[in-house]
Amino acid sequence: MKGSHENTSRPRSPHVQVYRPQLTSVLSFGHRLSGLFLSLGAVLLVGWLLAAVTEAPAFSHLNAWLGSFLGLALLFVWTLALFFHLCNGIRHLFWDAVIGFELKTVYLTGWIVVFTSIGLTLMTWALALWRIG
Amino acid sequence: MGSDDNRVAISRARGLGSAKTGAGQWRWQRVTAVALVPLVVWSLASLIAVVGGGREAVVEWLAMPGAAIPMILLLIALFWHIALGLMVVAEDYLHRDGVRFAAVAVIQLGCMALGVTGVVAMVLALIA
Amino acid sequence: MLIKSSDEKPRWTLLKRFPIPYNAQVPKEHRIKEGIAWPVPDGAKRLKRFQIYRYNPEDGEPPRIDTFAIDRDDCGPMLLDALIKIKDEIDPTLTFRRSCREGVCGSCSMNIDGTNWLACIHDIDDLDEPATIYPLNNLDVVRDLVGDQRHAFAQYAAVKPWLDAEPPVDGKEHLQTPEERQELDGYYECIMCFCCTSGCPSHWWNGDRFLGPAVLLQAWRFIADSRDQATGERLNELEDPFRLYRCHTILNCTRTCPKGLNPAKAIAEIKHKMTTR
Repeated sequence: MKGSHENTSRPRSPHVQVYRPQLTSVLSFGHRLSGLFLSLGAVLLVGWLLAAVTEAPAFSHLNAWLGSFLGLALLFVWTLALFFHLCNGIRHLFWDAVIGFELKTVYLTGWIVVFTSIGLTLMTWALALWRIG
Repeated sequence: MGSDDNRVAISRARGLGSAKTGAGQWRWQRVTAVALVPLVVWSLASLIAVVGGGREAVVEWLAMPGAAIPMILLLIALFWHIALGLMVVAEDYLHRDGVRFAAVAVIQLGCMALGVTGVVAMVLALIA
Repeated sequence: MLIKSSDEKPRWTLLKRFPIPYNAQVPKEHRIKEGIAWPVPDGAKRLKRFQIYRYNPEDGEPPRIDTFAIDRDDCGPMLLDALIKIKDEIDPTLTFRRSCREGVCGSCSMNIDGTNWLACIHDIDDLDEPATIYPLNNLDVVRDLVGDQRHAFAQYAAVKPWLDAEPPVDGKEHLQTPEERQELDGYYECIMCFCCTSGCPSHWWNGDRFLGPAVLLQAWRFIADSRDQATGERLNELEDPFRLYRCHTILNCTRTCPKGLNPAKAIAEIKHKMTTR
C-alpha cells in the first residue's frame, strides 16, 4: 500500500475494506470496469475485421463461435458495458465542462445512466434478434 | 513531533516537483471521447444491419466510402482513447517504476499495432 | 434513491462494504481482530451499541474492534456526546480528537458507519445498530481513532495556501468587487477535516503524490481569488499526472463533505482553467 510514513510499524486505518459503497464510487468503478472489458472487445473487433477481409473459413469460424451460447452471453455483457460506458462517458463530458456537480444532479444523472444503459441494451438486442431471427 | 518532522513531510509532499504536463493527455482523452460518441453509435447500428448477410456482404459494405471513412476514423479514435484510458489505469495501480513503465509501453505499442492492423484491414477491403 | 445533500442518510443499503476480505492487503501483524465487549449499563431502556476501532501502540497488540453500549436516554444527542460518555464512564483510554463540538473545527472527523463525517454533528439516532466507528481512512493510526495527518497537511502546505501578491497600489488593501468575492463562496468555508481526502479511492492508491480533494479545493480557492497574482505559478505546480490528474471524478468527496462543499467541482474548475492556457 502506498503512502508516506516514517514509522512503518503503525497500522494503516482501513479504507476500501470498510468504506460504504455509494452510487458515486460504484458507478465510477463500473465505468473503469466496462472500459477494460470494452478494450478486450476492441481487440476482438480488429480480429473480426481482419478475418472478414482475408480468409473465409476464419470469418465463419469466428461468427459461429460468436453465435454460440457463450459467445452470445459475452456479446450481451459487452453491449451492456458499451452502453453503460457511453452514457456514463457523456455524463463525464458534462462534468468536464463543469456542468452538473450539485449532489442532487449527480445522483439523478447517475440513476438515469444506469436505467438508460440497461434499456438501450435490451432494445438493441431485441432489434438485432428480430432482424436476424 | 516538531518542525523537523514537518520539514520532512513537506519535502516528501513536494516530491520530485511538478511534471508540468498532463493537460494535453486529459484533453485528447476528452476529444477522442467526443468523436467516439457518434462513431460508436453509427458503427453499432451499421454492424447490426450488416451482420446477417455473410462475409461478402460485410466486405462489400466496408468497401463503400460511406462506411470506410467512419470505420477508419473509429479505429483511430478508439485505439487512441483506449491507450490513454489504459495508461491511466496502469498509473493508478502499478507503483513500481519499472513495472509501470513496461505496462505503459506495452499498452501504447499494442494499441498502435491494433489500430494499424484495423486500418490495414480496411485498406484491404477497399482495394479488393 | 435520490440524495440531495451530503447530510442525507441513505434509505436502503445494497452493500455495507465492498465484497473483499475484511483484512485485504493488511500485513499480518496489523490484521484487525475482535476486541473487548465492555459491560452494558443496568436498567437502560434504550440501548445504543458501538463497535469502535481500537489500537494501542504501546501494548504490541494488533488493532481490535471493541463493543460498547450506552443508555440513549442518559446521553446527549450527538455521537461525540456518546464517545465522551464512554470515555468518562466506561473506558478512559478511548482516544479521539475533538474541540469545538459544533462542526466548525474539523477535529472529530472519523469514519462512521462506512462514510466520513464529524462526530459532533452526527445524530446518534441516525447511526446503524450497532454503529461502526473507524478512524479516518488510509492514515497511519497514532492511537484508537486518531490518525497521522502530517502528510495531508504537508500536501496542503505544498500548494502555498496564502495570497501571493504585490503590495496594493494605494498601500491599503486589495480591492475586490462583490462578484469577485462571490467566486470564493463554497471554497473558503473548508475546515480541513479531511473527510473528503480520506474517502477518495484515488488518494488511497496514490496518496503519496495525488494531492486529494481538500488540498485541491484550497488550491482552487486561491486560483479563483482575484487578489492573488500567482495564478500562473499555481497552475504550473498543479499540472502533473499525479498531483491533479489522479482525480477521475469519482465524487466520493462531495458525497461525504460534512460542510456541504463541492471539492469535485473545484477540481473540475482547475482542470478547465488548465485547458484555457
